[in-house]
Amino acid sequence: MSLQQIDAGMLSRMFLAGAKNLESKKEWINELNVFPVPDGDTGTNMTMTIMSAAREVTQLGDAVSMPGLCKAISGGSLRGARGNSGVILSQLFRGFTRRIKEEQALTIPILAEAFDKAVETAYKAVMKPKEGTILTVARGAAEKAEELAESGCADMETFLSTVIKHAEYVLSQTPEMLPVLKQAGVVDSGGQGLIAVMSGAFDAFLGKEIDFSIKPAPGSGANGGSVRESRAEEQVEIKFGYCTEFIIMLNKTFNIKTEMDFKAYLESIGDSIVCVADDDVVKVHVHTNDPGLAIQKALKYGALSNMKIDNMRLEHQEKLFKAAQASKPAPATELSAPLKDYGFIAVSAGDGINEIFKSLGVDYIIEGGQTMNPSTADILDAVEKVNAKTIFILPNNKNIILAANQAAELTAEKDLFVIPTKTIPQGITAVINFVPDLTADENEANMLSEIGNVSTGQVTYAVRDTVIDDKEIKKGDFMGIGDDGILAVGSDIAGVAGDTVSKMMNQESELISIYYGSDVKEEDAESFRAQMADRYPDCDIELQYGGQPIYYYVMSVE
Amino acid sequence: MASVAIVTDSNSGITQAVGREMGIFVLPMPFMIDDETYFEDINLTQEGFYKKLASGANIATSQPSPESVLKLWDNVLSEYDELVHIPMSSGLSGSCQSAMILAEEYQGRVQVVNNQRISVTQRQSCLDAKLLASKGKNAKEIKEFLEADKFNSSIYIMLNTLYYLKKGGRITPAAAAIGTMLRLKPVLQIQGEKLDAFAKARTTNQGKSIMLNAIKADIEKRFGGMTPDRHIWLQIAHTANPDEAFSYRDEVLEHFPGYDVHVDALSLSVACHIGPGALALACCRKIDL
Repeated sequence: MSLQQIDAGMLSRMFLAGAKNLESKKEWINELNVFPVPDGDTGTNMTMTIMSAAREVTQLGDAVSMPGLCKAISGGSLRGARGNSGVILSQLFRGFTRRIKEEQALTIPILAEAFDKAVETAYKAVMKPKEGTILTVARGAAEKAEELAESGCADMETFLSTVIKHAEYVLSQTPEMLPVLKQAGVVDSGGQGLIAVMSGAFDAFLGKEIDFSIKPAPGSGANGGSVRESRAEEQVEIKFGYCTEFIIMLNKTFNIKTEMDFKAYLESIGDSIVCVADDDVVKVHVHTNDPGLAIQKALKYGALSNMKIDNMRLEHQEKLFKAAQASKPAPATELSAPLKDYGFIAVSAGDGINEIFKSLGVDYIIEGGQTMNPSTADILDAVEKVNAKTIFILPNNKNIILAANQAAELTAEKDLFVIPTKTIPQGITAVINFVPDLTADENEANMLSEIGNVSTGQVTYAVRDTVIDDKEIKKGDFMGIGDDGILAVGSDIAGVAGDTVSKMMNQESELISIYYGSDVKEEDAESFRAQMADRYPDCDIELQYGGQPIYYYVMSVE
Repeated sequence: MASVAIVTDSNSGITQAVGREMGIFVLPMPFMIDDETYFEDINLTQEGFYKKLASGANIATSQPSPESVLKLWDNVLSEYDELVHIPMSSGLSGSCQSAMILAEEYQGRVQVVNNQRISVTQRQSCLDAKLLASKGKNAKEIKEFLEADKFNSSIYIMLNTLYYLKKGGRITPAAAAIGTMLRLKPVLQIQGEKLDAFAKARTTNQGKSIMLNAIKADIEKRFGGMTPDRHIWLQIAHTANPDEAFSYRDEVLEHFPGYDVHVDALSLSVACHIGPGALALACCRKIDL
């Protein structure tokens, strides 16, 4: 007789197994992207989202409680959310854990309700929910779960396997719902990712042997992963000398935002940070040169206990640490300059584009975009660093808008306005049209209406053979992608770029802006500009170095 | 009842001919072009001015000479009991200050209005003054009325180029900093004082809608909103850009149906700082009598 209830320990194993399974299928899921553009997309984004949660779950150790587990899953995925599919996945987890956090063990009726809650929460997070996507797959699973629960299904294994089978069926139907999928001959990648999570979790439920080890986040001090193991390496080049550990017994609210602030502060004074918040305690671990700073900061949130400070290095290494610390930026939380009224954050890729944004008054650039979608936490981090009361965020990529919206919801102290710019040229137009004398609402309205007048075309290459918008595309072809689909395909960059522009022009077009990427020679860009100037004598043509990767030309017509 | 004459300078955009028709005396502004003095609308036409501007001539504005001011006043006062003098904005020129000093000799018969207007809004002040005079107000009352009303106007100007603005230097540092890597069309504002930066646009259409939105916001926030009695005068001014100005009027009328939209050339003393191809949108609140 198999297990009929899922307790916190089992759920934790199932979650980690789901995360691992998603990670192992990441590349395959990336391949399902409809647009054959060379970018790290759905699989990568979903994996990074779930891994952020998995790391927090791993830190809980063996003695997990349901509330603690729920908090780790929900908070971790929320902060790590990247890309649209990642944000939706994080919202599914958030809804799911909301329903179950008070329970000791999960039964079939509770699971059915939790699935329902998950779907409801995720649909709410998306402004225009589209069918044939991860949302549809999740809803299919939830409906099946409800049906089974109502019909009195009593066996957990049957319940789970039936739900997953149905979700797989719904996934197989996604090409019927979204013509773009059908034409490209793929199923929805986000839905496939969700199936990967559920199947992995089911394997763990069945007791299959699974490697539960979760790798710490690469390159981040705040990974919280296996801190102890890493100590051996650190002795070679220790920058921060005191291993400092304590527990804060909270007497103030410690929400995601305060946790982020606190972690950011710890990062400014040290590394190897672990900061795990439960309902009334926070466990803190940090390597720093000044344990006093960490302790003082922690005292603001409550009383401390279980304090332990070890000296990890010898006196003569002091010099190295000082140099390292000097190069650390000043902690953002200690900025004392008065807040200005308005600030701008733009997501951008390419040194030329970055410079253009800066020259237009953007305060902070988040490097990212096509190849790497910044997470909600990356955006929150930028918000922290911009010293302004009201901040406009320009995601400049349709895959980053949801993460930015999520960041806006998590920010209380500053007013965040996400201007849903889907392309770099839209972002440039938005910031140009900002008027300091107007209110934030008036500016938002103006920017929204102006970005609607910008038509964007971007030229890149295809990473595989496919058919989209009735255009046959061969691997290695150049494609011009417009706001609503593929505008041109061909084997000559300038030819494709020119065809793309011709599709973007209308009677009222006044200005063609061309930003050439890092893989385009200046003289080639110049000759393309000259060609356009001959073809459109009534238009102003402006050529700028963008330096962006992947896209040879990013162009706009307005 | 004392007879009151209205005097202004050619910055108001009121030509000598129109001035004679309306009964307003217009003092021509002098321009030094390559060391030769010209007088607006006397021996310097709009076309002549822009031709010289385009040829790269060195153009400098200057105040009317005290002699020319006194001569005009004395002439006017030989027919009228009093006069109201409405010069260009004291924020843009010393003409107002000089006129006030000269007026001290006239025992109150000459009232100089310091209401910081220019171009189309200065023109509106002259029309308002004319109306007030016809209602029996004396020169001092008209001056006080217009000065109390000075902030009830607003001007936005979109430039086609930054070249003349940089060359002239008559702008705040903020406006000068507008020049960035991208070629932009700055939108400036005049709210009484100097020309100041307001916003920037990439295309003419963006600039037009920025100005339209700004005027709407001003009307909403400062001038009592859009009311059925249409208590707002709208004006469009341009520098050597009449076709664009008239097509802009049609666009503005779509947002302000039934309103009075006056189109005029921007005064040359402003034009020499901003160059040709500029377009301005302005509004004044109608005066309450």
